[in-house]
Amino acid sequence: MELDEFRAALDRWLDDQTSALAPEDGSGTLDEHMTQLAKVKRLTFDAGFMRYGWPERVGGLGGSALLRAYLGEALAARDLVEPGIYSITETLAPTMIDYAPPSLAADMVPRLLRGDETWCQGFSEPGTGSNLAALVCRATRDGDRWRVTGQKVWTSLAQYAQRCVLLTRSGAPDSGHRGITALFVDMDSDGVEVRPIDTMHGPPEFCEVFFDDVAVPVERTLGAEGQGWQVAMDLLPFERSTALWHRAAHLQRRLQDLLDVVPVGALEPAEVGETILQLAAFRARSRATVHRMARGERLGPETSVDKVLVAQADQAVFDLVAAALPAELLLGDDLAGARWRTEFLFSRAATIYGGTAEIQRNVIARRLLDLGTDG
Amino acid sequence: MNTEERDLLDEALRRATSEHSGAALDAALARLGWHDALATEPRTAVSLLFEQQGRAATTSSALDDVLVAGLGIDDARGAAVLVARADLCEPPGKGGEPVIVDGLGTARILEAEYTLVLGRAEDRVFAATVRSGELVRRPVDGMDPWLGLVEVTGAASAVSPARSVDVGMWRRAEAWARVAVGHEILGASSAMLELARRHAVERVQFGRPIAAFQAVRHRLAETLVALESARALLDVAWVDAAPDAAALAKAVAGRSGRTAIRHCQQVLAGMGFTIEHPFHRYVRRVLVLDEMFGSARALTAALGREVLASRQLPPALAL
Repeated sequence: MELDEFRAALDRWLDDQTSALAPEDGSGTLDEHMTQLAKVKRLTFDAGFMRYGWPERVGGLGGSALLRAYLGEALAARDLVEPGIYSITETLAPTMIDYAPPSLAADMVPRLLRGDETWCQGFSEPGTGSNLAALVCRATRDGDRWRVTGQKVWTSLAQYAQRCVLLTRSGAPDSGHRGITALFVDMDSDGVEVRPIDTMHGPPEFCEVFFDDVAVPVERTLGAEGQGWQVAMDLLPFERSTALWHRAAHLQRRLQDLLDVVPVGALEPAEVGETILQLAAFRARSRATVHRMARGERLGPETSVDKVLVAQADQAVFDLVAAALPAELLLGDDLAGARWRTEFLFSRAATIYGGTAEIQRNVIARRLLDLGTDG
Repeated sequence: MNTEERDLLDEALRRATSEHSGAALDAALARLGWHDALATEPRTAVSLLFEQQGRAATTSSALDDVLVAGLGIDDARGAAVLVARADLCEPPGKGGEPVIVDGLGTARILEAEYTLVLGRAEDRVFAATVRSGELVRRPVDGMDPWLGLVEVTGAASAVSPARSVDVGMWRRAEAWARVAVGHEILGASSAMLELARRHAVERVQFGRPIAAFQAVRHRLAETLVALESARALLDVAWVDAAPDAAALAKAVAGRSGRTAIRHCQQVLAGMGFTIEHPFHRYVRRVLVLDEMFGSARALTAALGREVLASRQLPPALAL
């Protein structure tokens, strides 16, 4: 199916299904967001839309990745899903398709696409934030099983997740990026403990995850032993293409929501114009990246530019919200006020998560500008 | 034009813009067939030429050709083009009375026999052809003496009755001019970044290249991000159906140019402050180009005013 045809069919279907797709209670809690996400995924999967852009061997209907880029855009633009929690599909399904044994991918990916399951991504650790290759969560071979012991942190949605794509240290402690192995772990395994982290923006979507001698079958290895760094790096292009495009749609929606309610005279034209420009620039950049990905081009360090731009646009939009609606943001205790506040506070992390703004600039300096090593 | 033909044109333009400037560059463009490319593939012709011209910090009067092509006024090819600086109350020279002129032109206006004067009156756009020699033409030195701008004032009689220009075609011409100037800013800014990059790698202080210092690295990274965002918007300005796409692209290009000036000047430090170093040429060029067809500042504020009044964002760029 071509993009134009898909777009028209999906838009029509979304119009028809408005009431079926609407959130149940509008309480804005994380539980509600997760219920809503599962519902929207199930309905879009059953109607076929969620299956486009994914290969048939994992329950997809084939077609360009542009189709799923548009699906997420349309859902975010209609405020039906929050793109942050939706993005797990965009990043982890490709990992499974590329690195899981084919039968495992065929069994598992449809559950993720249909919203029957939530997955999480066990990468960061207390001692390894920006320096991911220094991770220490230990995986030791024990016959036909791995035994995993260690701790992960900032694991999104782990308390809801049935599975985890987990990076472990299988080589010597000093083996760096060569000694990392990726595993697909059942979260109900003995020895897995999840503790949500209370964060300043409200919803406890990040967790600490503890692994205490957890047994993982060897056939749950993603890629080969020692290939985990490549698994992690190959996930990046997806995190930086479709997922960011969806974020752009969400920001566009929230900026329009702001314009609908902004009091006359509350904002200077120049600051409004500036925010629109930042968002437009990010969107144009992201569009080019999504098209490159869909054409099969290999995405690399240049996606750090996209990451810098999304963070700037995100913070610009919510800085504008703060300037326009100080009373709602600071004093509002109704749902709308609470939502602006949560989103404003979460936008402060846009320059931290997924590789800090400083790490992105380091990558740009070294890989794109060829400035050599620093320090 | 396939990729190979495009690369050939780009290389020919690179050579022409680095070897010639002014009237000599105009002649070189005519020789290498740039005007044919403009007629058949305006997007390629405009983006390639103006980026190379910016990179080389040379100049031509090709912007006049871009405006004429955008307007689709075939019989004005080769004429100088002057866009009136302010809105006019009366259509220019409608009844044969003199056309009052106030604007900035390229160097072509010093040589071309005829000048096409474009003016806005209320919601309409008019074009009148006058004899260039009747106008008061002051070659501008100013901030960037190498750009070859000419300030034009005075009055001249129209050689034929002024014609009404389709507003859609005027918008197209203005959009093409904005994208052209945006690409020129981008080319000049890329040249600044390359000068600063090379300096950072070669300049040794405290026993290591200054490129090893994160403060320097991040300034240059910031510059590249700014230039890439301008490039992304300039690229979509041709495909984006939104009427303001070119204005957005020009605004971001202007802002990015100023970002490049700020960071690259700091990295080049004393070296970049001397007259022997080419850096100052780019600074001058970008500061003047930013003002042409709407500065970043003016376009940003205009966009904000429009959106606040309508409470509607411009249509989002489609996938």
